[in-house]
Amino acid sequence: MATFMIYSSKEKQALELITAAKSVGAAAVKAVCINDEAQANALAAAGAEVLLINNDAISLADVAAVASALGQVAAQLGADTILLSSDRRGKEAAGRLAAILDAGCLTDISAIKANGDKIECQRNALGGATVATQYIASDKKIIAIRPKTFDAPGAGSGSVNAMTVDVKASAVKLIETKTRGGDSVDIEAAEALVVVGQGLNSKDDLPAVEALAKKLGGEVACSKPVATDKKWLSEERIVGLSGKKCKPELAIILGISGQVQFTVGIRDAKVIVAVNSDENATINGMADYILTADMHDVIKEMNSSL
Amino acid sequence: MNIVVAMKQVPDLQQVRIRNREPVFTDVPLVLGNIDKNALEAAVAIKESGDANVIALSAGNEDVEDTIKEALAAGADEAFLVLDDKLNGAESGVVAQVLAAAVKKIDDVGLILFGEGSGDNYSGQVGSRVAELLGLPQVAYASALELKGDKALVTRSLEDCTEIVEVTLPAVVTVLSDINEARIPSVTQILKAGKKPKEVLELDEVGVKIPPAASVVTVSNLAPETERKRIVVKSVAELIQSLTTEGVIGR
Amino acid sequence: MEKFDVIIVGGGLAGLAAAYTLAQQELEVLVLEKGDYPGAKNVTGGRIYVSPVRDLFPDLWAKAPLERFIAHEGVTMMAKERSVSIAYHGQELLEEPYQSYSILRAKFDRWFAKQAERKGAMLVTKSRVDEVIIEDGKVCGVWAGGDELRADVVIACDGVLSLTAEKAGLRKPGNPHDFAVGFKEVIELPAETIENRFNLTDNEGAAHMFMGEVTRGKFGGGFLYTNKESLSLGIVVGIKDLMEDQPAIEAPVLLDEFKQRPEIAALIRGGETVEYSAHVIPEGGLNALTKLTGNGIVVAGDAAGFSMNIGVTVRGMEYALASGYYAAQAVLKAREAEDYSAGSLAVYEQLLKDSFVMKDFNSFRNAPEALENPRLFTHYPELLGNVMRDMYHMPAGPKDRLYPTVMKYMKFNDLLKMFGDFRKVKKI
Ligand SMILES: Cc1cc2nc3c(=O)[nH]c(=O)nc-3n(C[C@H](O)[C@H](O)[C@H](O)COP(=O)(O)OP(=O)(O)OC[C@H]3O[C@@H](n4cnc5c(N)ncnc54)[C@H](O)[C@@H]3O)c2cc1C
Ligand SMILES: Cc1cc2nc3c(=O)[nH]c(=O)nc-3n(C[C@H](O)[C@H](O)[C@H](O)COP(=O)(O)OP(=O)(O)OC[C@H]3O[C@@H](n4cnc5c(N)ncnc54)[C@H](O)[C@@H]3O)c2cc1C
Ligand SMILES: Nc1ncnc2c1ncn2[C@@H]1O[C@H](COP(=O)(O)O)[C@@H](O)[C@H]1O
Repeated sequence: MATFMIYSSKEKQALELITAAKSVGAAAVKAVCINDEAQANALAAAGAEVLLINNDAISLADVAAVASALGQVAAQLGADTILLSSDRRGKEAAGRLAAILDAGCLTDISAIKANGDKIECQRNALGGATVATQYIASDKKIIAIRPKTFDAPGAGSGSVNAMTVDVKASAVKLIETKTRGGDSVDIEAAEALVVVGQGLNSKDDLPAVEALAKKLGGEVACSKPVATDKKWLSEERIVGLSGKKCKPELAIILGISGQVQFTVGIRDAKVIVAVNSDENATINGMADYILTADMHDVIKEMNSSL
Repeated sequence: MNIVVAMKQVPDLQQVRIRNREPVFTDVPLVLGNIDKNALEAAVAIKESGDANVIALSAGNEDVEDTIKEALAAGADEAFLVLDDKLNGAESGVVAQVLAAAVKKIDDVGLILFGEGSGDNYSGQVGSRVAELLGLPQVAYASALELKGDKALVTRSLEDCTEIVEVTLPAVVTVLSDINEARIPSVTQILKAGKKPKEVLELDEVGVKIPPAASVVTVSNLAPETERKRIVVKSVAELIQSLTTEGVIGR
Repeated sequence: MEKFDVIIVGGGLAGLAAAYTLAQQELEVLVLEKGDYPGAKNVTGGRIYVSPVRDLFPDLWAKAPLERFIAHEGVTMMAKERSVSIAYHGQELLEEPYQSYSILRAKFDRWFAKQAERKGAMLVTKSRVDEVIIEDGKVCGVWAGGDELRADVVIACDGVLSLTAEKAGLRKPGNPHDFAVGFKEVIELPAETIENRFNLTDNEGAAHMFMGEVTRGKFGGGFLYTNKESLSLGIVVGIKDLMEDQPAIEAPVLLDEFKQRPEIAALIRGGETVEYSAHVIPEGGLNALTKLTGNGIVVAGDAAGFSMNIGVTVRGMEYALASGYYAAQAVLKAREAEDYSAGSLAVYEQLLKDSFVMKDFNSFRNAPEALENPRLFTHYPELLGNVMRDMYHMPAGPKDRLYPTVMKYMKFNDLLKMFGDFRKVKKI
């Protein structure tokens, strides 16, 4: 029987990992918390056997120290199946820990399933064009699971025990942390999305887009370049491989060419509308309704008729 | 100081087609991963503002000799290649060992840059693994990078915040595509690329053996089934009508 | 600034043929291609006649990635609701060396480019030529993306609407009305399905032409070629003809309608369209050729107008290969004489005259005119269709005699016109 260990720097995601471990048959879940007593208590309240490391020498910004600590705990526990959250911190730690433990590692996992003694994992491959089902055959396994793949577990009665580890002097010094400015939108939760791409002429056209989203009872989302290159919308609103995977009832996609790295984030929507001035745009191949038109006209017209 | 940039040869994903849900790779041209080009650009920018020698490092099959020209044209000074057919589709753990062994053969390495994820696999492991194998500090997801003496100032971009960290060199940094816009080399640069030095080693020469059993096994790799209606509508009115019938608007 | 012996603009068949030939003679050749890969955007129907160019590139054909050799030919006259097909099978089509093959340019051109590079040619893709450098009335090089590139001679192989030939003053900017457009899809099907549907054994292939209702009776037609694991299906139609109709016909609609014809639908059923492309085609014919040489410049392939639109099909690939080859030969001669003036390069024209290229263009001189006869594309397909319908129709009562049935559609006057029309076509 595998010995499961979970870790995430974020409480919510750590809780999800408890559910994940249970879903593949973990009888007991060992959870590691680093310098975070609140998280330790929350995980214990959800049934995990928490190992709390309090060590000022470990900064989350120094993933070498984090991975080293996790490696030491895993060795002491005899843990062979380690679940991490596949957010950026989790992924950064995954590779490092995999090298320490000589483990096979899969990241960006969007589903896991026990099949005999194997844990079959699904992840997007080839930029999102395909979904690969893979399992780790080596003794030690590290699986990084995308946030929100699992719900939080119900209440349980766990425990919190202190754990000590030794880490090397850090070569990484945190100078400053800037929290992202204000946009706390959750496009993954929206029932309807109005998704705009580089077909949008200018930032000044955004109010009309927002008005439309509002009329549809949804949110505005975008392709990656609109947020990262043009900086017209926050990165919270990016749909796709490096953004969010959304499953709204309705997605109206305007001025987006439809490359796989984008479509992978929206292909589970119930109804997809593609509006593009190019009648041969790739996005049309994955739409339920195709309208070849200037997106600005369409937005205006929809706003006035809805 | 040498800056090593790890660059992976991948199939041009725009050219990969899906047939019966399976990806088809025959005749698909090979290119360097997009984000790896951003990593190279970051290195070249440092070189241009100071003094450094940029080495493009790649592990793969013999086609890499051709593919890597693009890196040499876009500003790398040399290429360091480990070539073997067995490296085709090799898993992250093996690739990391090969790259780490190769870096050890290069003198005076100050920075080792990686893409945040490779073009085809996009798993974001190799950079972290190499850092651990070499016992070096690392900063991943860099959206800005600046050298300051024997340190680098890196902006690490996370989901909910950005961190500015200072890391002592030598160090591993993996970059986001937002860090810069990779240059498109000119014809003259492309022509000169062929003449730049290339060091080509075989797998034995870096002392890495491919383990007989894979640690990650792929059961299947299929395009998801998508059944879309693909109805062409002629007007906004017609669209609204259809969406109302679907019950997705006007609820 | 870089200097080469020869700069070739365009890495299509003409450009690669020239590069291959020149590199073989160890000249420093630079090919500039604007596409991501050679062949990536090159549209062709899909049949190449290898016979006329086989000997120009003796080492090339054995390993060339051609699709299927054409063993079965067919023509279909399409009326609105019916069609009549003629199938041609001939022993000569089955004998090696095979006359013609279906071809996919994305594969072929990339491979051909590799061969040219192996011979020593330098190929730079994603590089578009924007200017021609002219000094003292002589072309000395080109500008590509901010790079000044010089050479003793430039070969313009940049296809129809050649910018290089235009900037060098050899081609007048065209009027869109003088061109045709082609639309094409590549539809994937398993090899076995293709072989069953078209009655093919092994590597045999079929070529099929369609005329009549495909283009709503306009000058042009449809084509279908079998590749190894796909079909190339498309139409060609004159731009002028499209615009004449009110409202103007949209060519992509024609292709969609063509695909929906039951005759076609059955052949492509279950296939997946993996490539869609559109391209301009020079109206063709002798009169549409550009000036072929200038000081320091030679023009080859579609850039020079070496493509012949004979209505239902277009021929251009073998002319592109041959003219590229002869352009290279002319450059080699000029190099010997160390004289790259128009006069010295004019040997190109002589080489072409002695070859099948100009011979074909002379004998097809009247093709565009004869083929513009609308009766060919509307009247005859309907006529044939009606005759056949009456022949095959089995009424409840007694069936009419055949001769009067035919004559019902062909009045004497008709016969006379028909005779005239076909006499013109025969010249082609
Ligand atoms: C590793 C990796 C990860 C990536 N992750 C993501 C990701 O998570 N999300 C993402 O989106 N991208 C991602 N990308 C980038 C992706 O490949 C594409 O570059 C991007 O999705 C293109 O955005 P776009 O469609 O808005 O822009 P474009 O490709 O420029 O398309 C613009 C479209 O707008 C149309 N248009 C123009 N004007 C109008 C008009 N007036 N009216 C209507 N239509 C108009 C055009 O016809 C065109 O189709 C990633 C890339 C890589 C390599
Ligand atoms: C629908 C259709 C069907 C056809 N069917 C057939 C057929 O069945 N058989 C047949 O023999 N012929 C056919 N043809 C004609 C044939 O495809 C052409 O004659 C042939 O491709 C011409 O070759 P080329 O090398 O001259 O030009 P192209 O193949 O057009 O090559 C020109 C190259 O130059 C590049 N280029 C253009 N401008 C620049 C620039 N400024 N800088 C750098 N590069 C540039 C282009 O990207 C291109 O690669 C068909 C054509 C069409 C459109
Ligand atoms: N075979 C390889 N050769 C060189 N660099 C590689 C190779 N594979 C991965 N990399 C580097 O590691 C990064 C992350 O890859 P991955 O872990 O596969 O997502 C890439 O962006 C490259 O910089």
